[in-house]
Amino acid sequence: MLSNTPGSPTLHSNAAMAVELTGITKRFGAFVANDGIDLAVRRGEIHAIIGENGAGKTTLMNILFGLLQPDEGSIRLNGEEIVIADPSVAIKAGLGMVHQHFKLVPSLSVADNVFLSMEIRRHGLIDHAAQVARTRDLSKRFGLQVDPTERVGLLSVGIEQRIEILKVLVRGARTIILDEPTAVLTPQESRELFQTLRSFVAEGMTVIFISHHLEEVMEVSDTVTVLRNGRKVATRPTAELSKDELVHMMVGREVSFDRRPRASLHGDVVLEVKDLWARDDRLLPALRDASFTVRSGEVVGIAGVAGNGQTELAEVLSGLRPASHGGAWLKGQNLTDLSPAAIRQAGLAHVPGDRMVRGVDRNASIAANTLMGRQHRAPWSRGGMLNWNAINQNAETLIKSFDIRARGPSDAVKRLSGGNIQKVVLAREFTDGADFLLIDQPTRGVDIGAQEAIHDEIMRQRAAGRAILVISVQLDELAALADRILVMFNGRIMGEVSGDDADEERIGMMMAGVAAPEFAAETAS
Amino acid sequence: MKDHLHAVSGQVIAIGVALLMGAIIILMVGESPVRVFMTLLRGAFGDQEKIAGTLLQTTPILICGVAACIGLRGGMFNVGIEGQLFLGGFAAAWVGFAMPLPAGIHTLAALALAVVAGAAWVAIPAYFRARYNTNEVVSTILSNYVAVLLTSYFTIFLFKRPGGWSETPPILATSYLPEIFAFSRLNWGLVIGLVLAVGVALVFRYTRWGYGVTMVGSAPKFAEYGGVNVKRQGFLVLLLSGAVGGLAGGVETLGVHHRFMEGFAPGFGFDGLIAALLANGSPVATIFTALFFGALRNGSLLLEVDTSASREIITVIQALIILSVSAQVLVRKRGDSQAGERRWKF
Repeated sequence: MLSNTPGSPTLHSNAAMAVELTGITKRFGAFVANDGIDLAVRRGEIHAIIGENGAGKTTLMNILFGLLQPDEGSIRLNGEEIVIADPSVAIKAGLGMVHQHFKLVPSLSVADNVFLSMEIRRHGLIDHAAQVARTRDLSKRFGLQVDPTERVGLLSVGIEQRIEILKVLVRGARTIILDEPTAVLTPQESRELFQTLRSFVAEGMTVIFISHHLEEVMEVSDTVTVLRNGRKVATRPTAELSKDELVHMMVGREVSFDRRPRASLHGDVVLEVKDLWARDDRLLPALRDASFTVRSGEVVGIAGVAGNGQTELAEVLSGLRPASHGGAWLKGQNLTDLSPAAIRQAGLAHVPGDRMVRGVDRNASIAANTLMGRQHRAPWSRGGMLNWNAINQNAETLIKSFDIRARGPSDAVKRLSGGNIQKVVLAREFTDGADFLLIDQPTRGVDIGAQEAIHDEIMRQRAAGRAILVISVQLDELAALADRILVMFNGRIMGEVSGDDADEERIGMMMAGVAAPEFAAETAS
Repeated sequence: MKDHLHAVSGQVIAIGVALLMGAIIILMVGESPVRVFMTLLRGAFGDQEKIAGTLLQTTPILICGVAACIGLRGGMFNVGIEGQLFLGGFAAAWVGFAMPLPAGIHTLAALALAVVAGAAWVAIPAYFRARYNTNEVVSTILSNYVAVLLTSYFTIFLFKRPGGWSETPPILATSYLPEIFAFSRLNWGLVIGLVLAVGVALVFRYTRWGYGVTMVGSAPKFAEYGGVNVKRQGFLVLLLSGAVGGLAGGVETLGVHHRFMEGFAPGFGFDGLIAALLANGSPVATIFTALFFGALRNGSLLLEVDTSASREIITVIQALIILSVSAQVLVRKRGDSQAGERRWKF
């Protein structure tokens, strides 16, 4: 035992516990993904592990399944201590994991995939008939509707997931881990999955279920464990919890409402969004009927648990995703008809949430990165020829004025730290003279010092009369910056809170999808 | 600067490993590696005629290499340069023998049609890539076979020289690319290749279009976000790459063979692609890698005369270079897995 402190579950561990993790710590370099996590899962329950992106859910489950080794801590299965050196040990011990990304062979049949690497043999040959029959049995028993003879390549993602679950069952799993199983499912398929999970529990099996969706956790689980920033917040029976309690545990109660001082400015409407709908990559509605305005000299914040339509909103406004209905007008021009280049021309600057992929070319120099979006205009280019003197000089100036820690404009962006890369993006976007700034996660993965500097810069832009939309999953950031906070849930704007009397209770309720009547009235006015 | 050194050292190691493994194979067939390599060197650079011969072999590899570099820069892997070269070669020959024009203009017209033929041929895979996101690697590879057989058909059934081999009638002297020296067939094609390599490098570095294409190749989502039309640039880049591939065929026809014949330029397209990969997609560095492959080809002519090794040993060494270069690309790609969308890392 590495750790056996009084009060830890190991002291009263018993065979009624299917899984007990004690003091699990996992570091990746300086980053602590799991920090002393204790987790006890009773046999025969559906145990949900919930937390925001990056809270450490998947890391913890990968450790349990032997895909990662913990730096500290121990694991007990059914009361017995075990070292899970690799997944084969986990499978032998009765664990099974359904990953977020499926690993199936498209050209083989469902049954062949289920029995891959453990084929039923007869006279040394694969007994297809027996495999089909056993697959059919299992699929009937647990309500996992599949046709065992169908080729996998022809099937939908929802069915592929059922095949993955069948694979796990065939390998004798009694405890099944599902990593964000509903992320790829339609609501209908999700309900069917929950039926299946209940039938597992009815047969005495155990289910561990990772999610960041409150609704489904409330619907399906018996017990919830909340993780935040790599630590366990609490483990509680689901029946004792309300949705907004859960939200507070996920996003943190210690929201500091340290507001930035400001003079009130009443500018003209710069951005008007009206009845805007959009679909996500699976073509499901992700943004539903959003309407709001942003005035010049105003910071509007968008709050919400990650994955509730904020990304889609940002992508529609920047021309990277088509709107399915409604419109967004930037100084009177409808953005939904325009290309990304034309929207920039119309006056948008965009700090993307996915900084490394959308925000920079990591292999290119700082100078080349600061050119993006303005390469069509003088003095950066004339007659199709780039003016590298002007570009380099400008990059030099930006490095100084935004305090980017780099040797010079020719430094490759990949050599910089996360905070400095974000400063490169901000420097480029804030100095382009745009009237509307769309800032998605201004300080994600940025250290405290750089956070302060970035917030200062946003307030300076506000004072300069820019219209600013800040999307953030950090409530304290929005409370510090925003004049008004809109809360998104499940693609809808649930309501609006003034920044001056931002009340975490109300915001939390709306983040959990509860629209109290008085909020609805407020939005209508 | 450190990055450049790092990249160059990687390529040197790749070539070194390939030569070392080649030496082991030469030992296995009972020859002395030293003798083979010395013979290769003598065959490639032994006297002025041999040097001119090496440069003659270098020319099509260089132009095809530049064609590959253009594609790579925009994130497109044009493996169909061989086919574009064949069609370009045939198109130039056709202008050369069927369309009497004044000297000079005749050459330019033939080269222009070669360029158009190459671009038109790659336009099919490029269209499918832009419209339906078809993998251009597969479609351009397959288009090679069609191109080679199509030009064979033209040559044998439609334009065959009466009574001769499977070749077209000779082109008119007005359409020749002039030779540089009296003692060699080395011609102005080499100059075209050098100017093209430097010119393409300058375009990538100093034009707005080059900047957009570079970003499309290196970070497509960033380019899209910044307002670059990723699909259109991908299409244009493939078209341009194919055009230069066609030009390579035209240069070969007008400068060397003065007619089109079946199998007139075996493997130059592929050698060019390898030269470009070995040069990390840099057109200027391709000048040197193309010279290396040209020297191998030309040096091998002397190999069977002076040693007991077969000249096929050159093919073996080339294959080993491909292996070690791609191994190196893979190793570096793994070290940079965050690059995400990018399929080829240079």
